[in-house]
Amino acid sequence: MTPTAPAAGDAPSLVTTRGLGKVYDGVVALADVDLVVPRGSVYGVVGPNGAGKTTLLSILVGLRQPTSGTVTLAVERERIALVPDTPSFEPWLTAREVVALARSLVGLAPSAEAVESTLRRTGLADAADRANGGFSRGMLQRLGLAAAMVGEPTLLVLDEPAAALDPAGRRDVLDLVSDLSGGTTVLFSSHILADVQQVCDTIGILRGGRLQFQGPTRDLLAGKAAPAFTVRLRPPVDGVVEALEAAPWVHLVERPGLDRLRVTVTSTDAAERELVRTLADAGARVVGIAPAEVDLEHVFLELTG
Amino acid sequence: MNLWRLEWLRLVRTRSWIALAAVFLFFGLLGPITARYMEQILQRFAGDVIVTLPPPTPATGLEQYLGNVLQIGLLVVLAVAAGALAFDQPIERAAFYRSRVGRVWTLLAPRYVVATLATVAAFVLGTLGAWYETVVLLGDLPVGAMLLGMLLTSLYLAFAVAVTTAASSFARAPLVIVPVAAGVLIVVPLLGLLGALRDWLPSNLLGSLVGLVVGVPPVEYLRPALVTLAATAVLLWLAAARLQRREL
Repeated sequence: MTPTAPAAGDAPSLVTTRGLGKVYDGVVALADVDLVVPRGSVYGVVGPNGAGKTTLLSILVGLRQPTSGTVTLAVERERIALVPDTPSFEPWLTAREVVALARSLVGLAPSAEAVESTLRRTGLADAADRANGGFSRGMLQRLGLAAAMVGEPTLLVLDEPAAALDPAGRRDVLDLVSDLSGGTTVLFSSHILADVQQVCDTIGILRGGRLQFQGPTRDLLAGKAAPAFTVRLRPPVDGVVEALEAAPWVHLVERPGLDRLRVTVTSTDAAERELVRTLADAGARVVGIAPAEVDLEHVFLELTG
Repeated sequence: MNLWRLEWLRLVRTRSWIALAAVFLFFGLLGPITARYMEQILQRFAGDVIVTLPPPTPATGLEQYLGNVLQIGLLVVLAVAAGALAFDQPIERAAFYRSRVGRVWTLLAPRYVVATLATVAAFVLGTLGAWYETVVLLGDLPVGAMLLGMLLTSLYLAFAVAVTTAASSFARAPLVIVPVAAGVLIVVPLLGLLGALRDWLPSNLLGSLVGLVVGVPPVEYLRPALVTLAATAVLLWLAAARLQRREL
């Protein structure tokens, strides 16, 4: 049974799977996945490499057949657009031709205006007449998004869209995805948790082919993360770490920076009473103490670690 | 922009049409010249041995052309067709098409038809070149026999592209599709060793142009033509059925 939290606003689902499974030559890639993608949501499927993300998305868009279970789509196949992790097109087609072709493939009437506006929206207007064979990885990713968006999809499926991009390229892609939220339902797979946390309102955590959590991002962050504090100190901090680790109410001490500790605690009450005293007893030179921001990476590690 | 224009652009921008036209035209122009001067060519390499060949006929010119073009030219045809028909590689490109188009025949038809038309156009171009040179160097050719022979040979070329299409449903990479298709086209004539099948095989159409020119009755090619048509249809159906089921 897949743990399932209520979807955001209990919106009607656009994609539902029941007991979805996929086995490749005896190897289980997906097992008993009950996915519910609310209409209008930006749904992030997260998981480590090999978790089954690509297999799941491929089944949803009809590129692979499930071994077991069912997929229910409240959308026509033509209104689903897939952007793979490394989009590829005939290298001798220009960006404009790729986008125009993508529009015709889903049966929409030719529209030079729609093609131009999509190229502008994805930042490809200046490269519209260049063959895509010379495009950088980031430009290909944007072209993949343009080819998807020009088809006016109801469901946009993005498989690791920012995995291999530089920070600026990632920023562009995430901004485009954010712009789409509301009108288009977006299903977004990634192992970059910061990206997912930034753009997704609903999350499914996949590990070993099984859905370990599914629900609104805020519920996941609020309900699953252990409380933690960020402590800024003047170095050295080694003795302080040992003192904190010896405290019974401390679960974990991490050192994300030379002058920074992240202290995960078992009890917020105990930490609020004892943390300052423990630091003082250890001779720590405290610069600042604040509740740590809960991030998806920590929740993910707790759920899958 | 649509899938038919995409195939036209593939021919033009990958220069495939140049490869096709060049190989057929080259052998079209070379064949009759080779036939006309074969005796002199062999004599140059024969030293003191006297080479004597029967006087070349117009059919000899065509034979020289077809002998070359239906081997080397056919390999170029298979390579060009495989390049267009291997649409499940790379997978990311296949995903672009497959996730948007439900029926694989929608993708397959333009690729098969355009590859076949380009092949037939190149063959017609080469044959017209061979025809012209044969008339100039060796003598007239009967128009009716030539036109019917071109039609029947074109039918065989359409069959060869259909074999490549079917091969693309068994293999994904052009480097594998081409030898698989070539292997099938080589094996088919060997079935003629089974006496009962000899008069029905598509490969009989390869000799139709010369055969009709030298007076073989057209009805002799009716059975292989019908089998070729049927086999082409079956191969395309098989390819579409297999590709529809194939997972990326």
